[in-house]
Amino acid sequence: MSAVMGVSSINSAISAARSMGVEDAVGLSNDAKSNVGETASVSFKDVLFDAGKDMVGSVQKAEAMSIKGIKGEASAYDVASAVVEAEQSLKMAVAVRDKIVSAYLEISRMQI
Amino acid sequence: MADPLKAALAISGSGIEAQTHRMRIVSENIANANSTGNTPGSDPYSRKTITFASVMDRASGVAKVQVSHFGVDRTGYINQYDPSHIAADEKGMVKMPNVDMFMEIADMRETVRTYEANMQATKQAREMISMSIDLMRN
Repeated sequence: MSAVMGVSSINSAISAARSMGVEDAVGLSNDAKSNVGETASVSFKDVLFDAGKDMVGSVQKAEAMSIKGIKGEASAYDVASAVVEAEQSLKMAVAVRDKIVSAYLEISRMQI
Repeated sequence: MADPLKAALAISGSGIEAQTHRMRIVSENIANANSTGNTPGSDPYSRKTITFASVMDRASGVAKVQVSHFGVDRTGYINQYDPSHIAADEKGMVKMPNVDMFMEIADMRETVRTYEANMQATKQAREMISMSIDLMRN
């Protein structure tokens, strides 16, 4: 029983991560309907990698905007909003990762 | 833009940007309050105006604000008696810009207040997003 619950929580975490905007990644869109009982064809590594890619993108945008701001090409507000957006998506990525890792650990600790 | 809170951030951002343009116009008017022409009887600096309009952002489907027009104030210039001035006509009158300092200061105050209001809306929306993310933490 607890194994089923563990799998379902992992699946929900994966689908949450996918809805965060990682569905455009290659090979993730076709198994969006995977549910409990089916073997999830997506590895943890892929999900974490894609969530991370989204986050890295916004951090890079913030960095580019900061450089533009220093050069005087972007306004202070543009720089601030890009940096804060990056911070927020980092927080989001970290929170989702923590959830997925804790779900994985939950299963790995299971007594058989 | 699917996320309404992210849309709110973008809208407030457009409001903030619009106010920066307004501030630019105000400083231009204040800085040029004494700018006259340099030939006798020539026209001085004309006070500039700015108008805003609501625009539909097609990509995100929300109404943002945008500067619609930079205009020129057509009210008459102020005539000042100053025969030694380079722009004085044969009667010794110089046309001074139609900039009213009190008006500009009031406009500036309003600009700052609107900027603050948009900033507050941004902060609030951001806080709401953060609250949702914090829900995932223990």
